[in-house]
Amino acid sequence: MFKVILETQWKWVRLPLLVATVAAFAIPVLSVQDAGRVGTRGLDPYLLLIDMTGWGVAYPLLAAGIGLLLAMTAWGPDHRQGHSYALSLPIPRWRFAMLRLGAGSVLLAMPIIGITAGSFAATAAAAIPVGLTAYPAALAIRFTLAAGLAYSVFFAISAGSTRTAGYILAGMSALIVAHTVFGLLPGVDLMGAILERLYDWPGPLAIFGGRWMLIDV
Amino acid sequence: MSDAIKTSGLWYRAGPEFELHDVSMSVPAGSVYGFLGPNGSGKTTTIRLLLGLHRVDRGDISLLDREVPKAMPEILQRTGYVPERPHLYPSLTVSEAVRYHGAFYEKWDESWTDELFDRFSLPPNQRVGKLSKGETGKLLMALALAQRPELLVLDEPTEGLDPVVRRDIMSALLDYVSEQGATVLISSHLVHELERFCNWVGLMDQGRLISELPMEQFKNGIKRLRIIDPPNHYDDSPFEILLREPVNGGVPGEMILVQGWHADMAEYFGGVGASLREVVDLDLEDGFVEMLRAFRVQATEG
Repeated sequence: MFKVILETQWKWVRLPLLVATVAAFAIPVLSVQDAGRVGTRGLDPYLLLIDMTGWGVAYPLLAAGIGLLLAMTAWGPDHRQGHSYALSLPIPRWRFAMLRLGAGSVLLAMPIIGITAGSFAATAAAAIPVGLTAYPAALAIRFTLAAGLAYSVFFAISAGSTRTAGYILAGMSALIVAHTVFGLLPGVDLMGAILERLYDWPGPLAIFGGRWMLIDV
Repeated sequence: MSDAIKTSGLWYRAGPEFELHDVSMSVPAGSVYGFLGPNGSGKTTTIRLLLGLHRVDRGDISLLDREVPKAMPEILQRTGYVPERPHLYPSLTVSEAVRYHGAFYEKWDESWTDELFDRFSLPPNQRVGKLSKGETGKLLMALALAQRPELLVLDEPTEGLDPVVRRDIMSALLDYVSEQGATVLISSHLVHELERFCNWVGLMDQGRLISELPMEQFKNGIKRLRIIDPPNHYDDSPFEILLREPVNGGVPGEMILVQGWHADMAEYFGGVGASLREVVDLDLEDGFVEMLRAFRVQATEG
């Protein structure tokens, strides 16, 4: 049962997932190559760190994008026909959802392998200046956690009905309106406070915050 | 197990305009039950409730002696379903769709599946979304049969199909039913199609089950009678009077539509001071239309 679900999800997502996997491999490689071109006498530590910081934005974005992609393709075909096929199959709904979640998690391994391979290959090939350290494993683990979190959150949202999606959109709209209204008051930054709670440790999205550095001090 | 499907007091509001009212139906085990009704009468909604695709507001449902929705996975394991609109994933090829579907069923029969696909000449590498209407109908029926179900719930399975495809699908269904003794609930508004092979009929209109009876009684027991000197009330009649109305064209007497009629009931009219002048036989379609008309007149009169 899991095998056929995995096969169908693979069929629905394979092209963008292959692109994402290539991107996951390429980003660390390109980041180091790009940094290598900056210095005229090998890698300049200062410029290298600036470059790594710049490229670091790409990792959480890619992780979130992959999570969104896998979650949407996991439920998209079911959404399009009102889940009537899935509901008519002889399997409890929670188990079907778990199988879909599991199949997406297996597919998530591809870009994770891509980023791991890319990070190790890039750092192995580069002459890292004294005083700096490469963190390919840490970056790969962080990417795994971030992509897993993004996938879980988007999967949960995507598994819900159109009404659920409506509630989420309504909540976000209300937040924007509240931010605009309260923003008129001096010293009140509602959105800033919420984002801080979400992205700063121990917020639920803290994994996406901070610096994503393949090479750091 | 006497009834393969049993509902009691089913209520469901499907929106501001439509509601199922107190639907109590019984589909005897081993029967082929024709679920008749005009478009929008509530057949599909009832079927979706039976299969747990909607949750009832009130009432009880049991399929194959198991309670809906509590025992849904077990019920669906033993039930083949052909929906009104194709529900398979359009991007899969036919063979992928078969492999996917079959993986969920314990009694999935590979060789029987191959046999059905040969019989229906389905193209294995064609995408489901690119199949013709007839091919889609055949695929859905093949998938429903290949799981060797005890109960088949078919929601307008031949709607919009040409006569050749219709015949192919129905003959495969009948072969299966005669070999396996499965129960079939088949909805349609094509009365003649059901007349040939159903042995029970349920009539649905405006969200209500207006009648449920064996096909034989439906075909032979519903008559229009022309009565001279009709009484004000037909007290203690041995048949059910569905509708009373004057005869058109100034002809004396009245026409009554009755259910449960038998020839030896003619004597009853003498006892109430009336006389039976004419018995009009109705075929299934006429009976269906007349019953709907009677129901709607009664509903209008409250």
